[in-house]
Amino acid sequence: MEEYHSGDECIEGIIGGVDYSQNKVNQWTASIVEHTLTQLVKQGKPFKYIVNCAVMQKSGAGLHTANSCYWDTTTDGSCTVRWENRTMYCVVSVFAVAIAL
Amino acid sequence: MCRVSKGLSLATSSGRSERRVRHFHDNRWGSERRQRRNMDDDQSAEETAFVVDEVSSIVKESLEAVIGRNPYEHKRVNQWTSSVVEQCLGQIITCIIMQKNGAGLQSASSCFWDNTTDGSCTVRWENKHLYCIVSVFGLAI
Repeated sequence: MEEYHSGDECIEGIIGGVDYSQNKVNQWTASIVEHTLTQLVKQGKPFKYIVNCAVMQKSGAGLHTANSCYWDTTTDGSCTVRWENRTMYCVVSVFAVAIAL
Repeated sequence: MCRVSKGLSLATSSGRSERRVRHFHDNRWGSERRQRRNMDDDQSAEETAFVVDEVSSIVKESLEAVIGRNPYEHKRVNQWTSSVVEQCLGQIITCIIMQKNGAGLQSASSCFWDNTTDGSCTVRWENKHLYCIVSVFGLAI
């Protein structure tokens, strides 16, 4: 799926080789969602998008995420990308809802 | 079409400080969505009042009912997240549950939608053992 590659490249480009930093994590998540959204909008398809990103420090804590969607399954869809490095996890979800033209 | 971005952060590794960052935008979401479908009038601003309070209270009630004071249990977390999202009637709902362990968590979302008809609401909830973030995104059909 194209969204998968957009999300994966965006994450890698922004937090690829860095360690978790409390000061910078705010900028990182904002950059990831903005860049992912820009890439998706560039494709020019008639969709509304929601991009969600969560970054968590690796410290042994448990984390669970879930989502539920009420939409038209023939035209709408979602995609979740899970990424990690040595010090943190990153989960990016993209939801695309078709626009009725 | 407009862009809306929001960020939310939780406990950090350097201590118990908690910081919430939100960027407010003038987005509106009609709670009378179902009624609007039957109306032939155009969608004026007065009809699409933002009802984040209503959505927040629904989310909080379902969190209290489903999780309550329970400690974080890896086996039950799956059921909890499913129950919480099922109880909240809406369009797109995401739920994050994290054990309180001193780890830092940052969550952000960015949306490309129609600012006059769509909106979102994020609820942050915690008990003694875990944090829970529920986001509800409402998109007009």
